[in-house]
Amino acid sequence: MHSGPGAEPRSVKPPSVPRTEWVTPGRESALAWEIVRLVIARCSVDYAGRLSAHLPLATRLILLKADGSVLVHSDSLSYKPLNWMSPPCTLSRMEPDPEQAEAGVTEIWRVSHAKTADMLVVSIHEILHDSSHELGVDPGLRKDGVEADLQRLLAEQIELLGEGYQLVRREHMTAIGPVDILARDPNGASVAVEIKRRGEIDGVEQLTRYLELMNRDPLLAPVSGVFAAQEIRPQARTLAEDRGIRCVVLDYDAMRGLDDSSRLF
Amino acid sequence: MRFQVNRDIFSEAVSFAVKLLPQRTTLPILSGVLIETADGGLRLSSFDYEVSAQTTIEAEVEEEGVVLVSGRLLAEIASRLPNAPVRFTTDEGKIAVACGSAHFTLLSMPVEEYPSLPHVTGRSGSVGGEEFATAVSQVAVAASRDDVTPVITGVQLEIGDDALSLIATDRYRVAIRSIPWQNESDSADPVSALVPARTLSEIGKTFGHSGTISVAISTGEDRELIAFSAETRTVTSLLIKGNFPPVRRLFPDTVDNYAVMNTGELIEATRRVSLVLEREAALRFTFTPDGLTLEAIGSEQAQAQETVDAFLTGPETVVSLKPQFLLDGLSAVHSEFVRISFTKTDNPNKPGPVLITSQSSKDQPGTDDYRYLLQPNLLLR
Repeated sequence: MHSGPGAEPRSVKPPSVPRTEWVTPGRESALAWEIVRLVIARCSVDYAGRLSAHLPLATRLILLKADGSVLVHSDSLSYKPLNWMSPPCTLSRMEPDPEQAEAGVTEIWRVSHAKTADMLVVSIHEILHDSSHELGVDPGLRKDGVEADLQRLLAEQIELLGEGYQLVRREHMTAIGPVDILARDPNGASVAVEIKRRGEIDGVEQLTRYLELMNRDPLLAPVSGVFAAQEIRPQARTLAEDRGIRCVVLDYDAMRGLDDSSRLF
Repeated sequence: MRFQVNRDIFSEAVSFAVKLLPQRTTLPILSGVLIETADGGLRLSSFDYEVSAQTTIEAEVEEEGVVLVSGRLLAEIASRLPNAPVRFTTDEGKIAVACGSAHFTLLSMPVEEYPSLPHVTGRSGSVGGEEFATAVSQVAVAASRDDVTPVITGVQLEIGDDALSLIATDRYRVAIRSIPWQNESDSADPVSALVPARTLSEIGKTFGHSGTISVAISTGEDRELIAFSAETRTVTSLLIKGNFPPVRRLFPDTVDNYAVMNTGELIEATRRVSLVLEREAALRFTFTPDGLTLEAIGSEQAQAQETVDAFLTGPETVVSLKPQFLLDGLSAVHSEFVRISFTKTDNPNKPGPVLITSQSSKDQPGTDDYRYLLQPNLLLR
């Protein structure tokens, strides 16, 4: 799904407009939708397949995403949906059988996974809200502001790594992703720098993978690692130092040139 | 290997050897303590490539040998053994420890893989044990505990002709003191060594009861090391690399504006008044000819105020100080009275630092040259 030129992102369209084709009563067919649809409904939800789950009747938010996934949220239990079906899947709408209609069900949505026999069945009793939105092309997840800023500042102040260090480039590309900074030490040897706000074990693992790959490159090898963060967990430090990776703690305020008047120097 | 040893001597030696070992090491072999029979007694060693500790004790050796055993476990066992001679017997990778009716069996680690301890040669001399321990406790409190700038997590030792100076800073304060140094090497060139503050504090505590401590520093080589030894014990430490900031120049040459207070009274008052302060907040100190007033504007719920006697020389002064930083300095002067001196500054956005020194009476300066320089906060009202 891509919105064409001139498409207005985040425009709200009335529920009738979505290019969702609802099946005629009594028949069921696969549906595709190209916009995000928000439905707030009193419903009960059943999941069948590799695991079974039942959500009793309550008011919930049902999110039908453009990628085909369906997520059922309540207003608590943090950010995770109560139940969901990931793409590829198909949604079909069915009329309730008389017994279900007797119980108050007005329509039934069946979400079937395309590759497994998993199925999510939403029994709708009442729709309280229904709107669809075209979100347009997403720019992608952007790096946290501080982390990007730290990268920029450290590139500008590469001597924080030690006297005689020189910047080669930021975001040095490897086959498995970009290394934050590639630098050279005073002897001209390559140094890969991974920057984090909080230095945890997974950051060390990430840098280790980069180093292993970069050390296969005869033009770069030997490459040593620097793990730079505003704060480094003791376990992460121990792991890094055991792997010969140097830990550098960054003072963000000092790098930004914010003077702390309660300091002597 | 078989030997018998006095329980207290053994326990003390093991606890000394393992004290400086790191809490978690990625090389399990380095968590061990090496026990060797030597010169009719025992030699206990530990080493983690940064810090080493070694001591010799008397023992009745029946069979020579060497064994490597988990240090912390042995230290805990040794400290809880009943009051009876300790017998050590090794047998194919197993170590039997018997004491009274208590028996332990421990696994030994491969001795061949254990690194050999460093030997430090170079500029050497000695200092008085108690004096050194006091100076370390006075100065190390100002060292940084933050890894941002590794050089200031150490205490800088500067050796001159006949004095050893200790300096530490965390950028908010600087503490400095010198003690007599007995030169014992041919060279008398000044030399400096940056020793991790944690290690130095531990050394101060361990060697504080010794008459004299021998110090040797080897610099200019691949691995820069310092060694401290007293009686039968030796500790070595790698030095921190890098240049210590030139903090001596922050101290004023002369001050003509200062106040003298009773140290104990000021400590008590500061602790009381700061009870209502929020964390990290500063106390306001107003020095007038009538005395010193401490004020804490804590939160909306609580305020506090107290006045203590003070003998002011020069104009009235108001400063805002973090209570903990002040208390660290006041607790380190070790004198009945304390002098707080105020320095001038041209920067309107940064008050001049205050200098804390010892004072043996109202108008008699203290006997040591301990100086503690502290940066006040901006006055907010």
